[in-house]
Amino acid sequence: MRIDYISGNRAIAEAAIASGLKFFAGYPITPSSDIFEYLAEELPRRGGYVIQFEDELASIYAVIGASWTCSKAMTATSGPGFSLMVEGISIAVMTETPLVIAYIMRAGPATGVPTKTGQYDVFQAEYGFHGGLPIPVFAPSNPQEAYDLTIKAFNTSEILRTPVVLLSDASIANMFGKVLIREAGEIEIIDRRSIEILRKKGCEWSLDDVYEMKCVGDGYDIYVETLTHDEKNIYRPTTDVQRRLMWRLYRKIINNREVLFEYSFHNYGNKRCRNMIITYGSTFSSVSEAVRELNKNEEDFCVFKLKTLYPINEKIFYEKTRDVDKIFVVENNVGLYVKEIRSILRDKDVISISVIDLEYPDPDEIVERVREWL
Amino acid sequence: MRIEIILSGRGGQGILMLGRILGKTLARYTSYYVAGSETYATEVRGGDSRVDIIISDNEDEIGYVRARNADIAVFMYPSLMKNLSRYIKRKAKVFIDTTFIDIDSLREYDWTIISEPYTQISERIFGTSRVANMMILGHLIKETKIVDPEAVERVIREEMPSKWHDINIRSFRYMIDRK
Repeated sequence: MRIDYISGNRAIAEAAIASGLKFFAGYPITPSSDIFEYLAEELPRRGGYVIQFEDELASIYAVIGASWTCSKAMTATSGPGFSLMVEGISIAVMTETPLVIAYIMRAGPATGVPTKTGQYDVFQAEYGFHGGLPIPVFAPSNPQEAYDLTIKAFNTSEILRTPVVLLSDASIANMFGKVLIREAGEIEIIDRRSIEILRKKGCEWSLDDVYEMKCVGDGYDIYVETLTHDEKNIYRPTTDVQRRLMWRLYRKIINNREVLFEYSFHNYGNKRCRNMIITYGSTFSSVSEAVRELNKNEEDFCVFKLKTLYPINEKIFYEKTRDVDKIFVVENNVGLYVKEIRSILRDKDVISISVIDLEYPDPDEIVERVREWL
Repeated sequence: MRIEIILSGRGGQGILMLGRILGKTLARYTSYYVAGSETYATEVRGGDSRVDIIISDNEDEIGYVRARNADIAVFMYPSLMKNLSRYIKRKAKVFIDTTFIDIDSLREYDWTIISEPYTQISERIFGTSRVANMMILGHLIKETKIVDPEAVERVIREEMPSKWHDINIRSFRYMIDRK
């Protein structure tokens, strides 16, 4: 265990190594490149491999291939690169291949402003690939969370045999913080080989829909099918098999919502939370300052910070918002994730405060925009 | 308690290194919470760089990682000074490198100004401008006492390649030891 002062990107790279990362493939893109840069130097010393491919398509397929040799594998990219990876991610969903994608958002669309921030890609991270089966998305808001959620992302990908997105942005990439770094022996690291042990001894995860994964090199003939397949991985183009497959892949994530949903709740000493701000990622930094200002007028603001964007545990939402009068969703885009929240909290007034800013949104602007509704 | 620090200069002057050494010293060798952010242009030489560091004994107080009311500031180059001045407190301790900044241009600000031609001194004494950042850090710590200088020296040894230890530590000590 050691304490350091590191950036969000460095925290992701450090946590990936602690999680047992063995293979990284990628194509450099700002603002994700320093993850690649650090791993290129560090991972080979720890017995891992780092490869730069000709593009993001090759990178994601290399990651899928590496994962089928039972190596923990990841890539890191930003919006334009993720767009190129979506075909591969869909294949990883279908073939139930564990992998982690660090998605460091920049201002978009297209090539946007490479070095600046935004939260425009929340839906792409969740739903951006064909097939309509969302995958777990974790969204850190500071370097410590980037570290902790990276470990969670690796464990989740291994346990549920799924691609997992770690959704950060350019601000967190360059945000520094005091981070408690735990080494391999000090954290719970789960890999796919220990799932059978987990299953037998019982655990908080729901594993009924997860099949045991055998890898290339285990001594079996491995058949990885991207077409609709039955439980034996044989192509079966029937509605019956399609239904079974789709619902199983959907259930295996959603039935673990209680384990996967991470959040933090900040009431800043208020007895009651009359007004709630829901936010995620780097915007939390500005919101925390805005709330200090808003609470000066005894408005009783609290903050519900989401660290998991998919799957959501609706029960926690109902619990936390039960006595709340107004709910504001603050995000650095045109108002996207607020739609997810509205679909859960259908009987509440959910107000979208979208502040587009290439830097951290100005807390004064948030205060002003929120006050219009008080 | 929330202490805000702004460090600003041009690419190549070592502002990011200055911020990281200070941040790592606070994180590793004090019990304070510390957070910060870096902004810099794409040019290695020439673009503006800015580092914000927030220190607090209360974790909830450092949520916002930008200075809005800085207690301490460093300007190694004038380009961002006007823009950032609105984020600096009255009477804040502001360290100015007069190699690049005309002292007369500071009259409009109500700051406690501490100035030296750090880059010139660094060139004269150490034969390079590359350690001027550590000289400023030494001066900053001498005047504000936010961390123990020995902890900073330890971090310089932990973070920099060994051939750079001696000259950086000597530059760091220069203002501290000056009578």
